Parts: sequence; C-alpha cells; structure tokens
Amino acid sequence: MLKVANLDKTFHTDAGEVHAVQNVSFDAQNGEMLAIIGASGSGKSTLLSLLGLLDAPDKGSIDIDGVELANLDSSGRTKFRSRQVGFVFQQFNLIPNLSAKENVELALEFSHWPKEEREARADEMLAMVGLNADKGSRRPAKLSGGEQQRVAIARAFAAQPQLILADEPTGSLDRGTGQKIVELLRAAASKQQATVLVVTHDEKIAQQADRRLEIDDGVLKEIA
Amino acid sequence: MRSVGVIVILAVAITLSISMLIARDAVNTKINSVRASTGNTITVAPKGFFGFNGGGTPLKQTKVDALLNLANVTSVQESLSEQLSTSNSSLTSPTPVGSLGQRFGSTGGNPNGNAGTGQAGSGAGFTIPIRVIGTNSPGNALVGGANGGGTEKLTSGTTFSPTSKANVAIIGANLASKNKLKVGSTFTAWKTTITVVGIYNSGSTFADSDVLMPLSTVQTLASASNQVTSATVVVNSIDHVASVDKAITKSLGSAADVTSTQATIQAQLAPLNSVKTISTYTLIGAVIGAALILLLSMLMIVRERRREVGVLKALGAPNRSIITQFISESTTFTILGAIVGFIGGVAISSPITSALISAKGGTTTTNTGGFVRNQGGAGGFIGGGSGFTPPAGAATGGGQLRFGGVGNTLTQIHTSAGWSTLAFALLAAIVIAAIGSTVATATIVRIRPAEVLRSE
Repeated sequence: MLKVANLDKTFHTDAGEVHAVQNVSFDAQNGEMLAIIGASGSGKSTLLSLLGLLDAPDKGSIDIDGVELANLDSSGRTKFRSRQVGFVFQQFNLIPNLSAKENVELALEFSHWPKEEREARADEMLAMVGLNADKGSRRPAKLSGGEQQRVAIARAFAAQPQLILADEPTGSLDRGTGQKIVELLRAAASKQQATVLVVTHDEKIAQQADRRLEIDDGVLKEIA
Repeated sequence: MRSVGVIVILAVAITLSISMLIARDAVNTKINSVRASTGNTITVAPKGFFGFNGGGTPLKQTKVDALLNLANVTSVQESLSEQLSTSNSSLTSPTPVGSLGQRFGSTGGNPNGNAGTGQAGSGAGFTIPIRVIGTNSPGNALVGGANGGGTEKLTSGTTFSPTSKANVAIIGANLASKNKLKVGSTFTAWKTTITVVGIYNSGSTFADSDVLMPLSTVQTLASASNQVTSATVVVNSIDHVASVDKAITKSLGSAADVTSTQATIQAQLAPLNSVKTISTYTLIGAVIGAALILLLSMLMIVRERRREVGVLKALGAPNRSIITQFISESTTFTILGAIVGFIGGVAISSPITSALISAKGGTTTTNTGGFVRNQGGAGGFIGGGSGFTPPAGAATGGGQLRFGGVGNTLTQIHTSAGWSTLAFALLAAIVIAAIGSTVATATIVRIRPAEVLRSE
C-alpha cells in the first residue's frame, strides 16, 4: 500500500521559487491503478520523480507497505528503486544495443534477481505482454512502438515491484495500441498486486483507471 | 561508425607511439653497442712515445699510481717496456729479421734503438730485440695500451703476483721454443739469472716472443726506478670515460699522451642521441594525444547517452555498474586500438627510424672513428721478418693510428619489437583507457535521472 502525506518540492530558479509539488497527500491500494492528469508544468513529472525516488522531497513522507522512503539517502533510494519501483516511459527508453529479452533481464539484474532464474522470468514477462521468443530476441529498433512499450512494461513488472510509475505510456502510440497498453498495465497491476500510477493527458485513458487525480500548480486533488 | 572512428584514431596515435618506442630502443641499443665496443679504458703513455721508435720521457710511477685516486677509476695497469739483445741477455729472438729488417739495418737506421739510443743496425748483424714488459697486471699486460693487443694465456706454470719483486718471468711460447726453455729453466738478463715460472700463448707470433716480468723487477734491473712507459686506466662506466680522460690529462699535464675513443664517439653519437630525444618526446606526446582523444571521445559518448544513463539509474543501476560498463567500452576501444597500433607501429618503425636518422645525420655510413688510435693495433715496430704478420696488438708501439675507427655504421640500425614493446602497448592502452574513463566516470556520477527523464 502506498501512502503519501504532505509532500512538498520547491525548485529555486533564476526566475524565483517554483513550488512544483505542494502538500500532496493520497493513498493507493496494492493492485489499484490511479491516473494523474494535469497540464504541462503542473507538477506531474516532479511528483512522479518523488514517488519513484529519483528525487528527494523537501518535506513530507512516502510510505510503501510500512517502509518510510522520503528520508532515504541516495544509495538507499537506488536500492529500493531497483526492487520496488518500475518505470514505463513515453519514449520507452529501452537500451538500444540490448535485445528485448536482455532489456528485461537488465531490470532483474539490478534487483539482484537470482541469476539462474532471470532468463525464465524474462521469457515469462515477455509472454505476459504478448511477445514471443522471436520478438524477444530483437533489438528495440526492430520492434514497433507498441511492441517496445510492451517490452518496457515487461521490464517494469519483471522484478515484482510494489509501485509502477507510467509517464504518458501511450503518448507515442496510436489510440488502438495505447488502449491495449493500458489494458496490459491494468492486468499486470492486478496480477502482481502492484500499485500503478499513470500520468496522462488523455482523458479516455484516465477514465479507465480505478481513480483519477488531477494536479494543478503542484496541488493534487482527487476527481470524483 | 563512431566507435570505429575512435578506434582508428587511437590506432594511429598508438602506431606513432609504438614506432617511436621501437626507434628509440633501436637507437639506444646502437648507442650502447657503439659505446661498449670502444671499451671503458684509457691509455696513458709518455708524450711522444711510439713503440720502439718513439721518444718521450717515461712517466713517473708515483704520478701514475695517483690516478687510482681519481673518481670513477677502478684500476690502473702499469707497465715498463724494455729490450733485451744478445749483448745483455742469453736469449735469442725467435723472430726472423726478414727483408725489411735487413733493408733497415743496411741504411744505418735504428731499428732496435730504445728511445733513440740503440746501436746502429747493419743488415748482416742485425737481430730483432726481445721485448721485456714489466707489469703489475700479469694476465693483461698485452691487452691494449701501449703494449699492443692480445691476451696472454698460460699454457704451463704459474704467473707472478702484481707486486712481486722476484727475478722471475713468464715467457711467450715462441721465445721458449727458440731458446729451449720450459718452466723452471733460467736465462740471464742484465747479468741477472731469471727463472721461468710460466709460459704463455697469446695467439700472436710477435707477442709470443716477449718476456713478462714483475714491474718492480724490471725497474730495478733496467735502472728505471719509478718509471713506467704505459698505463691502462680502467673506468667504472663508459659514461665516465670522458670525464676521467680530462682528469688524467689535468693530472699528468704535458708529460703524457692520454687517449680514449670515447670523446670522439660521443661527438659522432650526437645525432643518434638527438634522434633518441625526438623519439622520446614524440612517444610521450603520442600517448598523451591518444589519452586526450579517448578522453574527449568518451566525454562525447557519455553526453550523447545521458538519457540511457538516466534510464539505467532509474531502473536501479548503481553508479558502479554504469561506470564499469563505460570503462569496459573505453578499454575495448583502446585494446583494439593498441592491437592495430602495435601492428602498424612495428610495420612503420623501420622507415620512420631511417627517416629520423637521415634527417639528423645523413644517409651515408658514418664512421665513429676518423683519426682514431686503435686499441691494440699493430705496433710501430718497423723491422721484422718478411713473414711478419701484424697481429692484433703484436708490437710494442703505442698502437696504430688509422682512419676508420671502430668502423660501425651508425645508420645501420636494426629495429625490432620485443615483449617489452608489446608490454608498453598494453600499458599505454591501460593508461589511456584509465584517463579516458575518468571523464566518463565523473560525468556519469553527476547525471541525475530525474533531470534526464523530466526532459521527455
């Protein structure tokens, strides 16, 4: 279970202080999918960075299954992230010189998944997102956008993290493919009992989430 | 393509450094070879002394002894050269007079005069005098210096001690045979009975007609107290020969001729030393250049792959893991560059070395000698039989003066790449990779995944 309380993040720029995230609080259950919508510059990416432990908040707490994460140091955040957080990006961000399967295995390697089980786990995850062995052996450049995003989802879920953060996962895909990706995310979240946060501009995508949150000038509120 | 480009540029730089290393080694080997061939000895003789025909006043032994106190001098071998004839000895020379001796004797010359005071020769009555060498270095008395060359080896009997004052002698095999002498036999010299304690063979017909005796004994019998006619100063290193040469000249002043080939050699080797310096600096420059190339290339590569680094960090990759990956990449570049560079360096080292030497010293053969006194050269003894073949160091003279010196051709330099060159290539690759990787490492550590991913 994810518990976020009173999260603040302020950036100091030449133009002055920017309150990217202000007093954000919300909870999410395991297996639940939340959609976060907001305009550009509203603080979505900053919130995602804080939740993904890519950045440290100025104040507030992030609690996953009873573990307080906001005060972890850099090394601790890296270690926790490798095991409990999965990312899905708009531009897929697969490693170009690795095959699809190797990309999945990479996440398992970072999470210290047993070496002898990584290959089988990667095959299992690729199968879960609908990619066969042939696709798994291809490098990202030899896959379509939708297939690359499937690989990214397989990679994100491979190490069985508690939290999946998807930043505009359908932004580079056509509507049909995007729809399949969202369904895939939802199914994977349900199957692995992971909390999925999807940042999106697309209201139709957002409506498929269990709950919708809107962020505006760093302030988060739940949409009924 | 970019990786291939980096490897090619690295290979060119390593090729240059390897070729410079090989050139430097080859030139260095040549320099050492030439210098070693000239030896680490300095010959000291009385001014104007030139074998039987030479003049000059013998050196004072006390002054020659003092040379041992000079810095870097390890030993001083002294000798006094005298002559025996039928008038002051029971010995008969085994060397035939020959046509030269007869001709010289008939012209009223002075073939056997000692310092210009000997009897007039007559073709019919002329006999070859017997050389007596008083030495404090038995075993080396015939090596180099004013006594000529050759190394005596005892074939029977024993030698005498360097400080002996006994009336003993080691005689050459020819002289022993001619006079039917063996170990334990005696002969007379300066009206004194001398006992043969050893017989030697030097491989030289002329030198095997000599008599070697303790220096003190000869000085006493020949009334030449405190006199030496030759000294060979042994220096502890070839590098110090020139300085010791100067010190001896300063110590003995105008009384002595001090000769070594080192000074001449140094001047002749100057172009090679210049090539060595150039190749050393070029070698260092090439390695630094290669390191800079890799450093900048890695910087460019890391910057281009910032997003990938950010993603890896987001996935939980520790800095150590990412840095290791980039270091392995840069190491691969340099090892491939080193392999190609090693092959290229070996291939072009010979023409590059030749070009460098040609630019500095011309392409023609360069002799190291010029007008050089040949160590152990055939002596100045003019007489002798018609069958006399001047061996290496046969005569009593102060050595032969001749053109040509050691005869080495300085441009005939052989280049080769050994294990040390290969080891250098690997070491250079490691150093280059390490330098190149430091930039990658520093850049990777600074990359923050949140900033990289925010720019999506």
